[in-house]
Amino acid sequence: MAVISLVNVRNLILKDISFEINEGEIFALVGPSGAGKTTLLQVLAGLAPYTGRIFSDAGSLDGVPPYKRRMGYLFQDLLLFPHLTVEGNLTIAMGREIVGKKQKRERATELLILMGISALAKRFPHELSGGEQQRVALARALASSPGILLLDEPFSSLDFRIARYLRLEFKRLQRMLGFNALFVTHNMEEARELADRIGVLKDGRLVHVVKPDDLWLKADPGEGAFLEQPNILNVCNQRETGNGLIEVEWAGLRFFVPDEGKGFERVAIRPGDIFISTLDPPGPPVNRFKGRIKKITEAEGMALIHLTVGGEEIDVEITIEYLRTLNLSTGDQVCGILKLRSLHGC
Amino acid sequence: MKGLYRLCFIALFLMALLVAGVLFALIFRLSFKELWDAISSAEVLFALRLSLLTSLGAIIIALILGLPSGYLLARRSFRGKAILDTLLDIPLVMTPLVAGVGLLFLFGNTFLGRHLAKVGINLIFSPWGAVLAQAFIASPIIARTCKAAFEEVSPRYEWAAQTLGIRPLRTFFRVTLPMARQGILSGIVLAWARAIGEFGATLMVAGSTRMKTETLPIAVFLNISSGEIGIALSCALILIAVGFIILLILKQIGNNHRPGLPMKGIG
Repeated sequence: MAVISLVNVRNLILKDISFEINEGEIFALVGPSGAGKTTLLQVLAGLAPYTGRIFSDAGSLDGVPPYKRRMGYLFQDLLLFPHLTVEGNLTIAMGREIVGKKQKRERATELLILMGISALAKRFPHELSGGEQQRVALARALASSPGILLLDEPFSSLDFRIARYLRLEFKRLQRMLGFNALFVTHNMEEARELADRIGVLKDGRLVHVVKPDDLWLKADPGEGAFLEQPNILNVCNQRETGNGLIEVEWAGLRFFVPDEGKGFERVAIRPGDIFISTLDPPGPPVNRFKGRIKKITEAEGMALIHLTVGGEEIDVEITIEYLRTLNLSTGDQVCGILKLRSLHGC
Repeated sequence: MKGLYRLCFIALFLMALLVAGVLFALIFRLSFKELWDAISSAEVLFALRLSLLTSLGAIIIALILGLPSGYLLARRSFRGKAILDTLLDIPLVMTPLVAGVGLLFLFGNTFLGRHLAKVGINLIFSPWGAVLAQAFIASPIIARTCKAAFEEVSPRYEWAAQTLGIRPLRTFFRVTLPMARQGILSGIVLAWARAIGEFGATLMVAGSTRMKTETLPIAVFLNISSGEIGIALSCALILIAVGFIILLILKQIGNNHRPGLPMKGIG
């Protein structure tokens, strides 16, 4: 059962977008900046004009004003009301289904306990840390009992570790409360970790809707230039080792890949997850290779190094600083390690 | 540079001396006893009461007209907005005396004036005229300051409110208005200061009838003309006190940056 369906939705930025979000699903929209991700959220919330049709499980949403759409919108800049306390921010969002000040305050307390921030009820937004503000904004969106949550880059402004923690929290809450969510992000890791399905948006078009594990295969270099292109290695001679690993052969070398419980023919690894150095690094001799540099491309503080390894090719990404330290140039030989936990069968 | 600063200091000192001299001349012209008798006279009390009432009425009208106007100008663009916006500035730069003449001609013995008189609204040479004159001066001030105050509140907060299911009117009163509160309050105080001290336009529209359309500034004018220095000075000192109170209130509003009231770049 679809909670939201879009049929040929278009405006100045979006071009014929059609897809559905199902009951209990988390749907992620990924794409480069300017692809129309935020515009699509605004269209759904009724904040931007469009043609085409949008339905919720309650009927058509076309022409329905934002305050009647029941779309909880978590804005990138949160937009907590600065003149209200945390509790005030929550109670103002509660609709007519909760009658009475006392009941509203009780509901607010419940939500704040869920978010683990019940101690902050009487604080003002500017007295909170970034992560706390994020939780308040999520609690507020939930307080309005929306049919679906729209989240715009919800974790992008946060410190890496806090973002990771909040993602886990979000997943936990979603399982517990069973809300539907559509979130946009440019962080692939985030999309893979949270989403049940992922839509790839490019130049206002929805080019793919895929399961998280299939994303790397579907997005070809032309469409997904924003995606850090993973290396897809064609492997053969697979053998289960019995300790949660699968041994595979690539470029005439033996590698270990974590056993994720499903069959595969290829292995994906992101360029940033490959370690290289000029000398063979210390440590266990697992998943190592030697390669020769074919090409070095520099962009935005990072260097993409194209290696040939025993007739196969692989891309490695390192910082420019590290490139300078190693003093590498085309034709040099390097030693590399494919980080075990970063290898994914697909 | 030192010589330059010295010259500037002389200028500053002369200005301060002049202001202090004026205050001194007003306050110490009469003995305390004479002043007290005058202040407790029926005429001064009448003028004070009339000024408070007419300025209050003018501010209410100015708010009813100016607040929504300011909001619209801050939020929407529409055909003719620039012209309307400029039109609102005219009362701010117009000599009040001339504005008064204009109001007199518009509401006097004209089609509009006669029809208003028929339904019992006599604006000309009545206290209501004072309200009209003051409202004319105060409304654009309120509209201006409200526009600036609403512009400080990002419309994205209104978006957020609406996605939370809060209706537009409730959004205005519970989100936008409280967030713009400080600027609006300053505007009200400034407009009130202009209204209570308003003389030129009031003189033209309401006239200067003793104990009828005698606001504080009119009372100063009437009594200086007729040599009643005591009453004139009492009213003048009340106006000075009002000015001080307004300065204090404005300072208080400025200092009172309550937690969370519009801050830039909410993170």
